[in-house]
Amino acid sequence: MRTAEAPTPGGRVLGIEGAETRVGALLEHLELDDAWIVDPSSGYEGRGGITVEGGLVTDVRQTPDATGGPPSVVVTPGFFDLHAHVREPQSAEAEDFSSALRAAAHGGFTWLATLADLRTTVDRTEVVQRVRAAAAATGSPVGTRPYGALTVGQEGTALAPLAALAAAGVVGFSDDPRPVGDSAILRAALTEAGSLRLPVVINADEPSFTAGAEANEGLPATILGLRGASPAGEVGAVARAIAVLRQVTSEAPTDVRPHLHVAHVSTAESLAAVRAAARDGLHVTCDVTPHHLAMHDGWIGGDRRYTWAAASAPWSGEHGDAPPYVSATRVEPPLRGPEDAIALLAGIEDGTITAIATDHSPWLSVDQEVPFGDARPGMSGLETALGLLLEAVNAGRLSLKRVVRAMTVGPWRVLDGGRLGLAEPAIRAGAQANLVLFDRADTWRVEASALASRGRNTPLLGRTLPGRVLLTVAGGRVAYADASLNG
Amino acid sequence: MTVAAAPTDDGTAAGTAGRDGATWRWRHLLDVDQLTPAELELVMARAALMETRRNDNPPRDLAGRTVATLFAEASTRTRLSFELASRALGADVVSMDASSSSMSKGESLVDTVKTLEALGASLLVIRHARSGAAQTASEHFSGHVVNAGDGWHAHPTQALLDLYTLRQALGADRIAGAKVVIVGDVLHSRVARSNIWTLTAMGVDLWLSGPPIFLRGFETWARALPAGRRLTVTGDLDAALKDAAAVMALRVQRERLEGAGAPSEAAYAARWGLTEERLQATAPDAIVMHPGPVNEGVELTPEVAAGPRSRITRQVANGVFVRMAALSLVRSTDAHR
Repeated sequence: MRTAEAPTPGGRVLGIEGAETRVGALLEHLELDDAWIVDPSSGYEGRGGITVEGGLVTDVRQTPDATGGPPSVVVTPGFFDLHAHVREPQSAEAEDFSSALRAAAHGGFTWLATLADLRTTVDRTEVVQRVRAAAAATGSPVGTRPYGALTVGQEGTALAPLAALAAAGVVGFSDDPRPVGDSAILRAALTEAGSLRLPVVINADEPSFTAGAEANEGLPATILGLRGASPAGEVGAVARAIAVLRQVTSEAPTDVRPHLHVAHVSTAESLAAVRAAARDGLHVTCDVTPHHLAMHDGWIGGDRRYTWAAASAPWSGEHGDAPPYVSATRVEPPLRGPEDAIALLAGIEDGTITAIATDHSPWLSVDQEVPFGDARPGMSGLETALGLLLEAVNAGRLSLKRVVRAMTVGPWRVLDGGRLGLAEPAIRAGAQANLVLFDRADTWRVEASALASRGRNTPLLGRTLPGRVLLTVAGGRVAYADASLNG
Repeated sequence: MTVAAAPTDDGTAAGTAGRDGATWRWRHLLDVDQLTPAELELVMARAALMETRRNDNPPRDLAGRTVATLFAEASTRTRLSFELASRALGADVVSMDASSSSMSKGESLVDTVKTLEALGASLLVIRHARSGAAQTASEHFSGHVVNAGDGWHAHPTQALLDLYTLRQALGADRIAGAKVVIVGDVLHSRVARSNIWTLTAMGVDLWLSGPPIFLRGFETWARALPAGRRLTVTGDLDAALKDAAAVMALRVQRERLEGAGAPSEAAYAARWGLTEERLQATAPDAIVMHPGPVNEGVELTPEVAAGPRSRITRQVANGVFVRMAALSLVRSTDAHR
């Protein structure tokens, strides 16, 4: 039996017992009191405590009338990621399921929807089975399911066998990171996936605008001499996909419900198109990454201010806090201007964006020691998502409640998780424990040695982030436990 | 932003102090965006010294040093200019170019840089097709890096030799307020970007003109420049040329003219090429410059290129003095280490 005190007086972990807090062990006993509960499924945000026995939540105590300021230890349902790239099997040295799921747990995630390495195409049932077996073999309590490819070989010309892939357990269909260029293919995909009740997930991109692009087309790219990806490319691709969705929806039998999900939306205008289409009753959803919320294209020039600090005076060539051309600031879609990021933050608060997804894209550092335009796009994101989002909360740009919703029930509903048999993110007596405890008042330093992911490709290295994850519990088992709990 | 290495604590080597006491701070010359007017004056003074002493006992500032030139993008002229400058200062020179180097066999830039360092190079002159490549190299090289052109981003020594040439032609005290026009494919031009920084720092009334598709984004930049810097962007070449004291034509990359929406070579020449007739609008003694090599009949007519306004061969000659100055200055920062 072990008992530990959480590091701040704000919330007390009265007892963690059982097979210690070894990863994978059943959480025999947890009694948490005087914490801050955020549970979007019940709508409760306030003081309270929970008890876990034998991996099950046995008691949830809501004590909204307790006095004193809000405690810093927060308990929420485990985070649910719609978009994590795992490099197994083709580039497993950059991230296999084992390291990805450790990283997920360290970041507070209890479930991931995964995308394959570009060289692995999940377009046959054998590949689905192989990927699922690889994830299961890790023994991690963190759950995962893959997306299936939308087209054979992700080549955009022939539809993949969507029904067979669905039967094998994929949670949706995507050719990400490639766009769907062919409207007829998109129409067929939305119809077929709609009959299977699964979403079509698109990387909204217009290749003639983005081929060879290194950065957002904006002032930083002009100054730095980088090939710009016009925001109009994403805007046009979203508009076109919505037009196809509208047509398909109007023509399909009523029991077919086509669902378009726009991954990592990055511009104000494409977000506005999603908002308008959703208002028209179309089944269109979108997600945004933490880095597109907190960072902007000035980061490529070495500016390290968060979006909300840079919006009033965007970077225009000043000597930044960091050197320019850091490979880890190259992402797809590119970091946009601060005004886009501000619109995305507003999109979370107004409910247009129902999910925050990491687009975790790990790469080995040695492969990223190249000129900026030769770097592989993507950022390692599972372990820094919470910290970046709490920065936005601390700056008054997001509410904790919206953040937690967009990290839990929001994405679960995008996938219609109940139909897939995925546990609803909730803190509910009688349910298996899927939750994360973190201390809002505590911080940690992002360093290579502090990351479980093999991808240390993040421009946050060296930076201190708020929100230390203390405990992640998935399926009633310990997925991550901070060293302080074992003290 | 991108003279990226932090300034050294002391850059006070003998001979690096300017008239107003400015000293050289930069271990690398990766960009010109951070150079103050005093620092630009320092380079000009140093280059003038090199010009004066070129045939008569030039300073042996690089004696015993090895300069490596790494040209991952072909440019015979710039490479030769750097090699002559290095030898004039007493350095040994080793050269690696794209076609013959192991980089063409897939060796990474960083590996190549580390190899050159292991071979004993203490100064690295790098040309690369990717913006930011000189920055990347500087993060893996313990000596000094001089950027000889990275992608569309920067070409520091070209901007410095352009400034030197302008001062020779106009007079050092007539630079501030002088109207200078850059004409051509600004978007893809590292020469234009570096000249924007240096010329606006020196108070030039700088104009950019060319095919509008190649001007995109630059008006936004003009609006974002610090107060006191003057940059005007226009698709009206005649308005730009009116009363100008100097005109710089940018080299047209033929392959870029084939790109989406760009004018054909003939259409470019007709609308943006510099002719004697068009240059009548400039100030009477206006000069014409070009970073070379010239596509005659495209950017300039042969008459303009060889005419009395042309300073093109002067630019080439000045390039050696300015590069001697640049190498000497970056080297001076380790005098006290």
